[in-house]
Amino acid sequence: MAANGLAPDTPSGAEEAARRAPRAGIGLRHPHYGELMQRLPALGFIEVHSENFFADGGAALAVLQQAREHYDVSLHGVGLALGSAAGVDPWHLDRLARLVQRVAPVRVSDHACFARAPRQAGTPALHANDLLPIAFTDAALDILCANVSQVQDRLKRPILVENLSAYLSFSDDTLAEPAFFAELCRRSGCGMLLDVNNLMVNALNAGAADPLASCLAFIDQLPLGIAGEIHLAGYCQTEDIVIDDHGSRVRPDVWTAYAHALRRFGSVPTLIEWDTDVPALDVLLAEADHTSMLLRDQAGVAS
Amino acid sequence: MNEAERQRRLIESLFASRADAQALPTRESGARALRGLQAYRANGDASAARALATAFPTVQMLLGEENFEHLAREFWRADPPVHGDLGDWGDTLPVWIAQHAGLAEWPYLADCARLDWALHCCERAEDAALDAASISRLGDTDPSRLVLLLMPGTALVESTWPIAAIHAAHRRHDEQAFDAVRASIAQQRGEAVLVSRQGFKAVPQVVDAGTARWTQRLLAGDDLATAIEHAAAGFDFGNWLTQALQSNWVKGIRVLPD
Repeated sequence: MAANGLAPDTPSGAEEAARRAPRAGIGLRHPHYGELMQRLPALGFIEVHSENFFADGGAALAVLQQAREHYDVSLHGVGLALGSAAGVDPWHLDRLARLVQRVAPVRVSDHACFARAPRQAGTPALHANDLLPIAFTDAALDILCANVSQVQDRLKRPILVENLSAYLSFSDDTLAEPAFFAELCRRSGCGMLLDVNNLMVNALNAGAADPLASCLAFIDQLPLGIAGEIHLAGYCQTEDIVIDDHGSRVRPDVWTAYAHALRRFGSVPTLIEWDTDVPALDVLLAEADHTSMLLRDQAGVAS
Repeated sequence: MNEAERQRRLIESLFASRADAQALPTRESGARALRGLQAYRANGDASAARALATAFPTVQMLLGEENFEHLAREFWRADPPVHGDLGDWGDTLPVWIAQHAGLAEWPYLADCARLDWALHCCERAEDAALDAASISRLGDTDPSRLVLLLMPGTALVESTWPIAAIHAAHRRHDEQAFDAVRASIAQQRGEAVLVSRQGFKAVPQVVDAGTARWTQRLLAGDDLATAIEHAAAGFDFGNWLTQALQSNWVKGIRVLPD
């Protein structure tokens, strides 16, 4: 309140910046459809897997269109297979273009992975429906750039490309992953969807002596302004490997790495991903609220 | 190794009957490489089971969860998807089941799968509303120039087994319903099932032989004169149209050019 009680309150620059900071988003998942539409909690956006809405019609698409009336929608694909040497499936691109037309999303993204390849040389490509690792080589970069450009030309908009959590990597890599992404974004004009949890999963699976330090170093090697969205999620530690299962709360070290990313990139729209063992909506909203608080804090500091 | 060959080798390892990471040029080696490969193979198996369970719920209930997961793993490798939408994968499963010697114990399973798939596709079909104005063309246009359009997703599934009864019994969980189904199976009492959408829900409905024949002609795109000419003796178009409009089977009438 103004000191003399006469003049209207004037927020400081920091307060105004915090007020305008993006709010976190959550994934729109089937168990929450009804409750989310009834409660309409304050969210920066909702994100869906594009392929779940590729059908010509039906209930799922109607729910998405209803949600679109209340929220910005981010379309996050898991099937473009942008790193495939076999190229992008025209069928897939047609469906995605139609969905983009239907929902006018705030962002469109997919992964730096491959999934389309023949089982035997000379046979048609199958689609493994998974996020399979690509090599970090000049040849793989050429393929990814060409495919990303094809998608952007068709959609007439830039897309974001996400870094993977990978359970296998290649011995003949010639580029560091941050440099690979920097070059991808420079050449194709796309942005990066930075998955901080994936950095941690990869650091753990690589047996890094200090996994958190590995994540921070990765973030520091990325160019400023590259990140168009950030993903946060939980992972599952098994006896012999860490699985990126999106089935639990965000881990403390991932929050720390996220705060570091915000300091480097600013208040970038951020998603809480939770795809398996989907909890009650309130659990997801609490994670999103915590994220929104960090986004506001960062916006206030930056101003 | 070029990127295409690298990717082909990984795909081959994922879809092989046994996990073997030795041919992969990975940084990881030995047990760690195998564990990484197994993580991807497990993802694929889980995705296959989840996608097929969504599209083929009756088949899953008939086989039980464990058998169904085994079937999904086998089908994933026998006839993998070619597109990145698993909701669109499974159209060849009924034929694959029919040819699978290990599934001979369930001779009606393939036809149950055909019905499941028709229902699944119907629920994903384009949303449409009746073009009521077009129906008036029945009164002023020669039937040879009219094509009666059924709603998107409408399908006819004919079987020598009681597939609609099997479908219904697995949703009622009522022992009496299963008794009736067992009796129908024993007598191999076939059914023709019309699949259509009520709102967003696909609904199976048993129809008589005359309606089935008529529906076949419409789905084949016959003009009305041809469809009527080939209809079963005693088929009453007026009665059918009343029921079809009430049941939301009809999308409208298309007039063919002269």
